[in-house]
Amino acid sequence: MTDESDDEDAVEDASEDVWVFVEQHAGEVAGVSWELLAKGRELADETGEDLVALVLGEDVERVGEEAIERGADRALVADAPVFEPYRAGPYGDQFRELVEEREPSIVLIGGTTTGRDFAGRVAVPAQAGLTADCTELDVDDDGLLLARRPTFGGDAMATIKCPDHRPQMATVRAGVFGAADRDPDRDGGVAPVDVVVEEGDALSRVLEREVGDVADITDADVVVAGGGGVEGDFAPVEALADALDGEVAASRKAVDEGWIEPARQVGQTGKTVRPDLYVAAGISGAVQHVEGMNDAETVVAVNTDPNAPIFEHADYGIVGDLHEVLPELTERLGGERPPEPTA
Amino acid sequence: MFAVESRGAQCANAPQEDSTVTTDWTIVVPVKQVPDADDVTIDPETGTLNRSDAPAVLNAPDYNAVEAALSLRERVGGEVVAVTMGPPFARAVLETAVALGADDAVLLTDRAFGGSDTWPTSLALARAAEELDADVVICGEESTDSSTGQVPPGIAAHNGWAQLTYVEALEPRPEDGELVAVRSIEGGHERVAAETPVVVAFEYGENEPRAAGLHRKIYAETEFEPEEWSADDLGITDEVGLANSPTQVGGMDTADRVERAQEVVEDVDALADRITEVTADD
Repeated sequence: MTDESDDEDAVEDASEDVWVFVEQHAGEVAGVSWELLAKGRELADETGEDLVALVLGEDVERVGEEAIERGADRALVADAPVFEPYRAGPYGDQFRELVEEREPSIVLIGGTTTGRDFAGRVAVPAQAGLTADCTELDVDDDGLLLARRPTFGGDAMATIKCPDHRPQMATVRAGVFGAADRDPDRDGGVAPVDVVVEEGDALSRVLEREVGDVADITDADVVVAGGGGVEGDFAPVEALADALDGEVAASRKAVDEGWIEPARQVGQTGKTVRPDLYVAAGISGAVQHVEGMNDAETVVAVNTDPNAPIFEHADYGIVGDLHEVLPELTERLGGERPPEPTA
Repeated sequence: MFAVESRGAQCANAPQEDSTVTTDWTIVVPVKQVPDADDVTIDPETGTLNRSDAPAVLNAPDYNAVEAALSLRERVGGEVVAVTMGPPFARAVLETAVALGADDAVLLTDRAFGGSDTWPTSLALARAAEELDADVVICGEESTDSSTGQVPPGIAAHNGWAQLTYVEALEPRPEDGELVAVRSIEGGHERVAAETPVVVAFEYGENEPRAAGLHRKIYAETEFEPEEWSADDLGITDEVGLANSPTQVGGMDTADRVERAQEVVEDVDALADRITEVTADD
């Protein structure tokens, strides 16, 4: 990487810089992007390279400026209507062009439905290595990215390397790293790039898009999560969360059942939370779920099954039905009992 | 740019049965054999997974993909072909797909495929989908053993086809050469229309997979033989396997366990006291 060889075959040697994709939809930046900028800053400082933010969208120069304030040395902005709303084709084609032209060493992308959708459209044609859902990122002495990720449902951790291909790409789920703060005094250039995608090339069109408030459970100090044991009734979970001024979350089971929106899912295929207090109600404690709550300071478990694995991952546990325990607990903590289920 | 190339190739290869316009779709379903999660152990000395002892089963999210394909076939007409890449014993998951209702199945098997990461794996599946003249490819959201979710976009990228991931529902429009999908996105949903050929990743648990019928099951287990294609048949021998996989596993170890107090309290009062202590700390 430090060897600036002119040999055209030595593509790896020519690659440099750490890129972070800054995901935005209609000007709203996904929180995971600022988390990746913080981690990207660390990696770039270690390798002595620049941290470059990549922004795609329409009227998004302001997002590029914020990326500079949050740690990027430079921001590359592809600004055109074809990028709004998001589609895999235009994003993938534009991103790929930039990657092949400028040869970054490392590219970090948020493990959102958007990031996981288009990352492969860059990695495949660019012959890049792409590691999914990393929970730890580091570089070795040669600047090689060491991407650690849980494998086989979280039972094991694998370290993935990409020795002979560039860029080394990785997706990271929301909440794994802390977000970069804003520093209005930071300097850096926001550079527009040539847009290489045309609307006529697009293979898809968005007919409708409905997005409500995107719940952010990753920053909450208190998280109350419900699992299969809520049996479709999240009211007791919501009432306790209210009493503790916390956020409602869920296991994959509860999300798959359609009881609650996916943005609130904790675990390997959801989000990582790091609250002071995590209450797991009616959650059995599969490793995939535990993976997302391991950073909680204190874990409380409520489950009818005294042998549920969740009790091994909890500081305090109580054996009982959450529909009885949670309302009582809510009242003791000065909150209002949830409404009785009508059914 | 991709569109013109791939659609041109598609037209050239399309079977010219006769002049009647048919809207039948060939629906290809890539499936994966995974170790039964309950039976995988970690070798305490080497830290590697003992997958070989575990019986191979059909990846759970693939049941949703097969169901989505069968449901699409019922509405549009055409055929469903399951494809898997793996050692000869991987045919078991093809039999499962056929028992569920797939019309046919292809096993991509070759020593050359060994050690493939998602790049060559999606290449092999992409070439197979092309060979089968797929109009729609439907994958499960991700595999339960490696959960990368990279193969569906990989297939689409290798072929320059449209893609629809995190799909909850499909609405075929064969007369327009389009497939419309409801996609789950952060904080909501969107409806997207994509040109065929298109690769779909169907969201895990979003439909109710049917059970295999008895006759179909007997047929799959006794009479049915999948076709077998090698890397050479697909013309990709030099592009697959460990040597053509950009990522390498540099080591495996058991996940660190976070130590917890594991104190079981007697009643809600005691629990409320603990919670008050914790939340009063800040």
